Amino acid sequence: MKSINVPALARVEGEGGLYIGLENGKAVEIRLDIYEPPRFFEGFLKNRFLQEVPDITARICGICPVAYQMSSVYALENALGVKVTPEVRALRRLMYCGEYIESHALHIYMLQAPDLLGKESALELAAVAPEVVKSALRLKKIGNDLLKTIGGRSVHPVNACVGGFYSWPDVAQMRALLPDLEWGLGAALDCVRWAVTLPYPDLEIDYDFVALHHPDEYAVIEGDVWSSNGRKLSTADYEQGYLEKHIKHSNALHGYTVDGNTYLVGPLARLNLNHEQLLPLARKSMEEANIKLPLKNPYKSLIARAVELVQAYEEAILLVNDYNPKGPSCIELKLKAGEGTSATEAPRGLLYHRYRIDENGLVQSAKITPPTAQNLPRIEADLFELAPKIITMPEAEATLTAEHLVRAYDPCISCATHFLKLKVDER
Amino acid sequence: MTRVVVIGIGQSLRGDDAAGLEAVRQWRDKFPETANRHGVRIESFELPGLSLLDAMEDADAAIMVDAIQSHASAGTIHRLDEKDLSTFTLDAKSAHGWGVAETLEMGRLIGKIDRVTIRLIGIEAEKVNPGTSLSQSVQARLPAACRAIQEEVLAITDK
Repeated sequence: MKSINVPALARVEGEGGLYIGLENGKAVEIRLDIYEPPRFFEGFLKNRFLQEVPDITARICGICPVAYQMSSVYALENALGVKVTPEVRALRRLMYCGEYIESHALHIYMLQAPDLLGKESALELAAVAPEVVKSALRLKKIGNDLLKTIGGRSVHPVNACVGGFYSWPDVAQMRALLPDLEWGLGAALDCVRWAVTLPYPDLEIDYDFVALHHPDEYAVIEGDVWSSNGRKLSTADYEQGYLEKHIKHSNALHGYTVDGNTYLVGPLARLNLNHEQLLPLARKSMEEANIKLPLKNPYKSLIARAVELVQAYEEAILLVNDYNPKGPSCIELKLKAGEGTSATEAPRGLLYHRYRIDENGLVQSAKITPPTAQNLPRIEADLFELAPKIITMPEAEATLTAEHLVRAYDPCISCATHFLKLKVDER
Repeated sequence: MTRVVVIGIGQSLRGDDAAGLEAVRQWRDKFPETANRHGVRIESFELPGLSLLDAMEDADAAIMVDAIQSHASAGTIHRLDEKDLSTFTLDAKSAHGWGVAETLEMGRLIGKIDRVTIRLIGIEAEKVNPGTSLSQSVQARLPAACRAIQEEVLAITDK
């Protein structure tokens, strides 16, 4: 076998390829070629009024638009020095539950499970296990229904704004979701029981796990940036610890710690760092399934997603039951010049935003660091770890094994390629 | 109960890809009596994906209206059955590669759309580049696409 070349990766979001160059039976070069065209979002945002930002950044991703909205509204609120009401904060967490539900259900069942079960696609899985796929689609749909109820539509919801929401969702419509959410909680608990029975390839890696941490809740929208290596930074200091580099073969930047090391963001990092903050049923589901932490096997991020699916359903039920909107849905904003940062936990991992605005609320500069850009160097490093094993395999099997590892990360290449600088010469 | 759901599919920011959305919009304005009939439901999807199945599962029939790229001249109106879909190599351009054909296949496999009769009205696209305007050749054929939708809806509701 000379090399492994996958020109276009299937079942990932966006367009990328994989190349593993071999020499004398050793992997000498591994590249995730990210050729998805750059999308220039940070350029689009310049001179836009701050209230346009959440709806523009939501367009970066069809799977995790809420993450982009939430990181941007918090960063801009920090720039203005304002804090939203507890009711708004609760509704934001609920909206994020909807996104975790639809994104995790999609990845667990449609994108990764076929690999673990030796099926070429979710269609093949549906042919042999239609009930599993049917329940997966229902799990996902409930997440989309929740997003639609809060944000007006199930993809690219539009209700979130700097300061809160444009309007409170209808209480009766919200409560009507409860029977489905209860069903979903049961199905998510089944998902954890099923997830631990799947055959995972052996691979343990000593990652530097990085995630938001909040002392009182499973961190999703606010907290400090913690690492399993002991770094603790406020989100305002995130760039003191983490930076991005341009790499020739990738239209997405690559994230490293300031010491030049790789790190891992996403469900494994969150669960390993924040399991003590899980809600009771999510925690119990881990105990019953005998899940021991830390999980260091990248393929087992599916198990972490399954536990987070329980967490999201459990939290959604609590928040829907408590939903009782009072007062204005959006606080009044007084414009002033400033700079603000924020990080929230997108389903795929930490999503950092920084904005500088002028006294009229117009964006002067924007920086967006998506989770997949932070994980790309780590995926390449994992493939190096995997290389000694896969080069002994027949080519088709080796290719599939490498592809599976990439898919286990649930990379969102479209999210990761939005930021190359666009230089416009004005004449 | 929904007898027929009319589904416009396409991305409004990708030129002629929006032909399906636009055709359904124009049909609704041109034939309001049919569009507002009891049992007729209208949906639009920027990204088809798996939620297409949810949109049609309670209907007797689904009429999907979408832009198509084959070798026909731009603006050609195709009227297809579900089985004809597989003859088109659908370049999904959507999240995780879920195109219309794969989605319907999934729906059949898990028994979610067993009772739904599916018809597709395809509008041959000229350009699917970023942008919000339809090409003239597609624009000129939208009235024909509206008539096709009307015929398909009446064929079901007048049964």
